[in-house]
Amino acid sequence: MEDKIKWETEMAAALDKARTENKNILLDFFNPG
Amino acid sequence: MDAVTYPDDRVVGFIDENIIPFRVKYGAEPLTNDFNVKWTPTIITLDAEGIEHHRTVGFFAPEELIPSMLLGIAKVSFDTNRFDDALMNLDRLLKGYPESDSAPEAIYLRGVSLYKNTDDPKPLKKAYEKLRDKYPASEWTKRAYPYRLL
Repeated sequence: MEDKIKWETEMAAALDKARTENKNILLDFFNPG
Repeated sequence: MDAVTYPDDRVVGFIDENIIPFRVKYGAEPLTNDFNVKWTPTIITLDAEGIEHHRTVGFFAPEELIPSMLLGIAKVSFDTNRFDDALMNLDRLLKGYPESDSAPEAIYLRGVSLYKNTDDPKPLKKAYEKLRDKYPASEWTKRAYPYRLL
């Protein structure tokens, strides 16, 4: 199934984007099974 | 979450507009240890400095994940003394998802945010009364119980 959500996969990139867009971060720890 | 919640168009739209999605495989270090994660799914709201403000463990359906994200966003604002922003997102939650599991905590936090903004204790009592009337069995009703005396 195609992932409709464009997940960041690196902490530094997520923080940079959060600061740039003035947003918070949804951090999901997942088990791919 | 991958089968039901994350593909949901409401969830996709909410995340796209409101929050940066960041995914880490359980066990990947150092983050699994840094955040003391023991089970999946664990979903954490971080501010833009990487500080944790809200955490849930276990499956959330779309109609529960969106209000939980709103609660997390509101808690970031609350924790950083931006009570107007907190109130805006708590009102979004309570208007859009009044039957969600996040609603009782939102009512509690809304009362506290109004009190913090005004130094008027009446919103605390109103929060208790609303919780008592609508969610009598909620833990948040119990936590607000002392406010009945204000």
